[in-house]
Amino acid sequence: MLQKKICMLGGFAVGKTSLVRRFVQSIFSENYLTTVGVKIDKKSVAFPDKTVDLILWDLAGEDDIGSFRVSYVRGATGLVLVVDGTRPATLAVALTLRERCEAEFGAMPFILLFNKSDLTDRWAIPEGEIDELKQRGWQIYLTSALSGEHVDDAFRQLASMVAK
Amino acid sequence: MTSSVEPISLSQRQASNDTGIDREALARLLVEIARNVDPDNHALYEGVPAADHRLERLRQLLVGGEISELARVTHLLDEPEQLAAAVGNVLPEATARASHAQLGEALAPAVERAAQRSIQKNPNTLTDILYPVFLPAIRKSIGEKIDQTFQSLNESLRHIFTWHGLKWRFEAWRTGTSFSAVVLKHSLVYRVEHVFLISRASGLLIAHVTSQDATSEDPQLISSMLSAIQDFVKDSFKEKENSGLDTIRFGELRLWSEVGQFATLVAVIRGNPPEELHEVIRDVLLRIHQESSRALERFDGDSSQLPGVETQLQTCVELQHMDSKEGFPWLVVTAVLLVLIVAGGWFFLSWQSAHRWQTYLSRLAAQPGIVVSDQKIRGGDFYVAGLRDPLAADPRSLLPGTDVDPARVHSNWQFYQSFEPQFVLKRLSASLAPPDSVRLSVVDGRIVAEGEATTTWINRARAAAQQLSAGGPVFDISRVRDVSAEDRWQAYVSRLQTQPGIIVADQNVRDGQFYITGLRDPLAADPQSLLAETQVDPARVHASWQFYQSLEPQFVLKRLTASLTPPDSVRLSVANDRIVAAGEATTAWINRARAAAQQLSAGGPVFDISGVRDVSPEERWQAYVSRLETQPGIIVAQQNVRDGQFYITGLRDPLAVDPQSLLSGTQVDPARVHASWQFYQSLEPAFVLKRLTASLYPMDKVRLSIVDGRIVAEGEAPDTWIDRARAAARQLSEGGPEFDISKVRDVSPDARAAEHWQYYVSRLEAQPGIIVAQQSARGGQFYISGLRDPLAADPQALLSGTQVDPARVHSQWQFYQSLDPKFVVKRLTASLSPPKSVRLSIVQGRIVVVGEAPAGWISRAQAAADQLSADGVVLDVSQLSELNLAELNHLREAIQTTDIFFDSGRVVPGPEQTPALDRLADQLKEFAENARKAGVTARFMLTGHSDTTGRETANASISAARAETVRALLNKRGVAPELLLVRGAGTFEPAVPENENSRTGNSTNRRVSVTVNLE
Ligand SMILES: Nc1nc2c(ncn2[C@@H]2O[C@H](COP(=O)(O)OP(=O)(O)O)[C@@H](O)[C@H]2O)c(=O)[nH]1
Ligand SMILES: [Mg+2]
Repeated sequence: MLQKKICMLGGFAVGKTSLVRRFVQSIFSENYLTTVGVKIDKKSVAFPDKTVDLILWDLAGEDDIGSFRVSYVRGATGLVLVVDGTRPATLAVALTLRERCEAEFGAMPFILLFNKSDLTDRWAIPEGEIDELKQRGWQIYLTSALSGEHVDDAFRQLASMVAK
Repeated sequence: MTSSVEPISLSQRQASNDTGIDREALARLLVEIARNVDPDNHALYEGVPAADHRLERLRQLLVGGEISELARVTHLLDEPEQLAAAVGNVLPEATARASHAQLGEALAPAVERAAQRSIQKNPNTLTDILYPVFLPAIRKSIGEKIDQTFQSLNESLRHIFTWHGLKWRFEAWRTGTSFSAVVLKHSLVYRVEHVFLISRASGLLIAHVTSQDATSEDPQLISSMLSAIQDFVKDSFKEKENSGLDTIRFGELRLWSEVGQFATLVAVIRGNPPEELHEVIRDVLLRIHQESSRALERFDGDSSQLPGVETQLQTCVELQHMDSKEGFPWLVVTAVLLVLIVAGGWFFLSWQSAHRWQTYLSRLAAQPGIVVSDQKIRGGDFYVAGLRDPLAADPRSLLPGTDVDPARVHSNWQFYQSFEPQFVLKRLSASLAPPDSVRLSVVDGRIVAEGEATTTWINRARAAAQQLSAGGPVFDISRVRDVSAEDRWQAYVSRLQTQPGIIVADQNVRDGQFYITGLRDPLAADPQSLLAETQVDPARVHASWQFYQSLEPQFVLKRLTASLTPPDSVRLSVANDRIVAAGEATTAWINRARAAAQQLSAGGPVFDISGVRDVSPEERWQAYVSRLETQPGIIVAQQNVRDGQFYITGLRDPLAVDPQSLLSGTQVDPARVHASWQFYQSLEPAFVLKRLTASLYPMDKVRLSIVDGRIVAEGEAPDTWIDRARAAARQLSEGGPEFDISKVRDVSPDARAAEHWQYYVSRLEAQPGIIVAQQSARGGQFYISGLRDPLAADPQALLSGTQVDPARVHSQWQFYQSLDPKFVVKRLTASLSPPKSVRLSIVQGRIVVVGEAPAGWISRAQAAADQLSADGVVLDVSQLSELNLAELNHLREAIQTTDIFFDSGRVVPGPEQTPALDRLADQLKEFAENARKAGVTARFMLTGHSDTTGRETANASISAARAETVRALLNKRGVAPELLLVRGAGTFEPAVPENENSRTGNSTNRRVSVTVNLE
């Protein structure tokens, strides 16, 4: 049994919960997410040589970064940073959250998802900016929790990164 | 479409009640976990069906009469004063009649809170009240405990003569435990069904075992969820590190958790486990820690690293006991009570110590010059870190009186300089050492110096003020009077008196003005220029000097020097009161000197020129030429003398001395010199070095020097400089000296990165609401820490465009609330959500609110102003005026006079009512929109009425149904449903009085009327 704790990070309503829902089937209902501040789901990703169980912690999104509980990230092996492609400000939120996690627990693998790629007419992130980020060697995906586009690819990528 | 924000924000608000926890939701969650641990429980906990509005409608129709009655009562309830009076009348009676159990339940929370508050305020009050109660209660409790012990003894005695009894007696004797403990053990019924071993760091499941026939859903998820809940509870109740949820109970099931250093063990137990089971579980956990501590610490989700653990856990699962026939387990109850008392005591103690610690922290926070940046409680010890001004109170000295044990406090204070005025004042007092005549004080956040001081002190104070102007409080020294003028005057006068050639005849000071008279030689020092050095105000000096010629030798010498202008080759000096000239000069000069000597012979000192040798122009020319020839960078090609004229040609480097300037002082007549110089570039290393220095500017970190005729550059420079130097070296290689730049290190990438970083830092520093506390660059990484207002620009976002690599930036920002008016305005705009008719602006550092607003809003703004004034921020609400609702009133009038009419017995208005409905809908929308703009919410009460024909209850439900119909029709016309309230008035509020005998009823009363409420 190989398990890895993964945290979903990102601003309010960027689609964290929706992405997890798209990727995984849950056993707990979601109505306590705002109570305890975290929803936990599992997804097994199979590779030829092993199977990794991703334990996905979906932290309740906060626009106010100040109220984010970093302690929930303790013990995590990887991060999923989610940005709402129609709201450029959420990129800064995701990066700041990552920065806070790294400051507390050190660097860890992550993927950066620009979500809601189906909303092409309201898309607000210039391609140049994404290219620039890619040049840092970051794993970046344009995803849609609505259509499912690239969602599995992205999580698989992360699974392979944390399983090393 | 409404935004997706709504539902979330609602439930969040719900969660933030005074305990900070939505207990109901938490409970639901725990139930769900139980269900997942034991799927059989599904049937027991079915969710509540969602509300159905058809039911609501049905209810209206069935119990409309009651509803109308309710409406009347509701009306009464809506008047707070009436209600209070009514309730007040019946309260004592009601209390007396109430079911005691329920009343107690209802009052308990309020009473508890009141007691809590009272204890916080002054614990003695309650202690005094309870003292007479305590004593008998304690006495009684001890008595009861003794009774219980006897009772359990009785229970035990019952077993003595049974077969079990004998067996257990033997067991007690064999194991050395008490008989009652053995009885207890065998009387309990329980079974451990699941054991989870959970990594404390990540919440990941390390191992899970179940008893044979137990089932459970995904143990990995349950494990993570449990650890998340533990975290949550710990955070919410500010619990100590190691304690969390020890036990959770759902009917038959219990979750017991035992927290170890690296892993938590959770046992799911069915039934009533004995207290010793805790011991057993703790042992297992301890053993696992002992055997696999390193593997546990490093656990990264790969459970194959911990192979032996499951066997250990298995021992827990095998624990069970199903034997039960015995009576009430008194001893268990006693034990549980004891445990509860101990646990409660412990809980109280730890709560109390945390509370004391909080007291200490708030004391610290209240101290000026102390900034707490971090604090925590771990293992009963207290840790605090932060900044303190060396002049602030010693944090330790604040401990006494808080009851916090100083030995348990670990502090880590960094010194910093606070800019709070009183600290700056202290520092200024120390550094400026103001004289007794100067008083420093803090006035309105400014530091004001008053009194008298010398100019030097004032100058130093001014320098300090200058320094402070960068970020610190204002240091106002305009009220310090300069008193050293008179002293300086006296110093000036005595200086004049020692001046040769100056005779002070008289001087005095009157009314701050200075007067002086005397004699001065024109060649003596100028009294005026001496004045300039003394800082005596020249405008206040009134001097009157008479010229005279001093015959003192040095004055005569000066006069001679001025009138004879001796060449450089002649030296004049005073020796034994005689003036002696020595050296070489032209005949013409010697003649003039002789004439002067003649004049002086009448009364003046002797002027001896016998030591001056007569030299010819040719000799002097030759001397000049040979001087030129020794000059570097000058090459004399040819020179000759013809007819008393001197000719010279040659080469000169632009950087060499000017031949012309060498001429002066040689006594060669420049008018007779004909020079022709060609410029050339000397390749002598010294000149090349000069030229390089001029052309390769800037190079603060490069040093050029000449080594064995080569020019060597050493140091550090950016690549651009190195490129230019290389080009110069290439040029020089044709004939010039060698230029060696191999020892210059290329520092460009680092330098450029550092430059970018500095640019970023200065950008941050220029941001309002961001305070950079510390920043540094180390090993190619950049570190920055400081404070930021949540409303200030995001430091991360400011990175873009600075070319600083974000991956190399390590920032640590603490949030704080800036009191910069700009930020206060932002916060106010968010929290008060001012109506459109109100404008907030900043005028000279004050926040001024202008415009019209509803009274409720004005009073909220006033409250905010009161609060802010404590922080020293002025929020001026005096220019707010109460909103004039005249226009709205007009519209309201129109709405309230509108009625929608119905045919007898019908709840749907006829088609003839359509225009009225259309108009009403438009009016309602317009009114709601205008009200919203003015910052108030309008709600419309639709009241249904009926005529008096038919039964009273039928009328009531018809009236309510009419109101509902109108609501639906208005809704269809675009009026937001949440703005429409509905009630049925039946026949109680007729528009016109009914004729008792009428068979058809009055059509005017079959209507729906509208009233407007503003919130
Ligand atoms: N069109 C579109 N909407 C999305 C997508 N992902 C999420 N949403 C919507 O965005 C809103 C917020 O999603 P949610 O998952 O709750 O965000 P979270 O706060 O990050 O967990 C919801 O209304 C989702 O339906 C997407 O890929 N495309
Ligand atoms: Mg979410």
